[in-house]
Amino acid sequence: MNCVELQQSLAELEGSGKDSGSVEQLAHLRACPACSALVRDLNQIAAAASWLQAANEPSPRVWNSIEAILRQEGLIRPQRPARSLIPSFGTRWGAARWLVPAAAMLLLALGISLRRASQPAQLGQQASVAVSAVNPLDLNDDDLRQEIAGSAPEVKTQYEENLRQVNDSIRDAQGVVDEAPNDEDARRSLMDAYQQKAMLFELAMDRSAE
Amino acid sequence: MVSKRTAKLVAIGVIVAGTLVAESKKEYHFSVGPKAGVSVMNPYGSISVKPSLNNTVVVNAILHSDKVEVDNSQNGNRVDIQSHLLAGADADSGRVDYEVLVPPDASVTLHSSTGSLRAEKLHGDVSLEGAGASVDVRDVSDAHVHVKTMNGTVNLDNIQNGHVEVDSLSGDVTLRSVTGPLVQVVSTSGRINYFGDFGNSGEYRLTSHSGDIEATIPEWTSADVSARSVRGEVHDDIPLQPKNHTWFPLDKGRAFAGTMGRVAVSSTVVLRTFSGKIHLRKRSEKQ
Repeated sequence: MNCVELQQSLAELEGSGKDSGSVEQLAHLRACPACSALVRDLNQIAAAASWLQAANEPSPRVWNSIEAILRQEGLIRPQRPARSLIPSFGTRWGAARWLVPAAAMLLLALGISLRRASQPAQLGQQASVAVSAVNPLDLNDDDLRQEIAGSAPEVKTQYEENLRQVNDSIRDAQGVVDEAPNDEDARRSLMDAYQQKAMLFELAMDRSAE
Repeated sequence: MVSKRTAKLVAIGVIVAGTLVAESKKEYHFSVGPKAGVSVMNPYGSISVKPSLNNTVVVNAILHSDKVEVDNSQNGNRVDIQSHLLAGADADSGRVDYEVLVPPDASVTLHSSTGSLRAEKLHGDVSLEGAGASVDVRDVSDAHVHVKTMNGTVNLDNIQNGHVEVDSLSGDVTLRSVTGPLVQVVSTSGRINYFGDFGNSGEYRLTSHSGDIEATIPEWTSADVSARSVRGEVHDDIPLQPKNHTWFPLDKGRAFAGTMGRVAVSSTVVLRTFSGKIHLRKRSEKQ
């Protein structure tokens, strides 16, 4: 067995859930200091990862700080920034280009908050705090309206109505989660509601790009 | 002297002739291999996809004015069609109606904001998206079927062994004889209707925030069903073997959970709404 074969077999070993290697692997590890060091490092990382899993999640303050930095950088500012990190994307999507990362941040924050809600020691209030730290009702609606500003009046009305409905659904779902943080259904409903809102932005962006 | 009637006829004739002159037809042919990818992006107008008889993709396009063009390209086994709006085009003058023939195993992606989207008799993956587009998919098997709409209606009919995901904000969604490992509908305010038997061993999740959900199933269906409306009502016409443990409180009139038929081959059925009604109906012989 050579080094490449060993590294490939490590991946298979990892996927199989076995703890120890084959006779060939052990023989190669004894003879090869580089692979031996690699396996040692991987074991250390695995041990550290399990420790990290048990560590506390970052506080909502951290997310607020990240949001503030992103605002300072102009990445989630509604106005068009002076320079774009990805010019072609920015040119095509205009002000809407940050909606996707904003929606991603939103879903990320929501996912973390829901995970917290599933941990008995950290139930309740933290979930709603984390979600409200990146509140889509405050951040994004005007930008969606901006995206559809050039559309026909009846189209704008349709988007407005759907936006209102999806915001209502987020509020309702959040209320149920706040009342019963352990309710798996409620958490899933909240996630669905956010995804529906993200889809509404996606459809609006597609429309404005046409 | 020309009568009024004659003048009207002449005027109508001129209008019709003008429309016919502005309207034009285009046809494109592409040779592709197995499991080709076909994408049609059409801001305004309908797209209909049907199976072709051989490994060719045939695109018939009706352009409603000269303010829109059809861009087409083929890269290997992938065909891309796009309506290209020219300056001054609007929803009427920018309209193109497509009829596309593809090999049955092709993967198809359709996008239209306003027209109808239709796909039938395929067994490749189908993805349809459009804000106001009505969607109709039928006779599709062994494929992923993904639909995204804002307020267009969605009708899926005879989808077998499908991986079905429908996201609709306010359009009504109707599924008839739709089965597979995963059938999921998420809506904000649209109504969801399911007619069928929930297949074998699949996961069926129908969720609407404020829309009603109605599932009409034969008595011999095997399923593990849970239904819950947080603020609305639930009704169950079919006797279920009750379950003792659920994620949620089984408030009478607001939720029920239980199994029916043979547990070994049962599917998992989850019906959820916040303020809509849920009704699990028994299918009558006539349906």
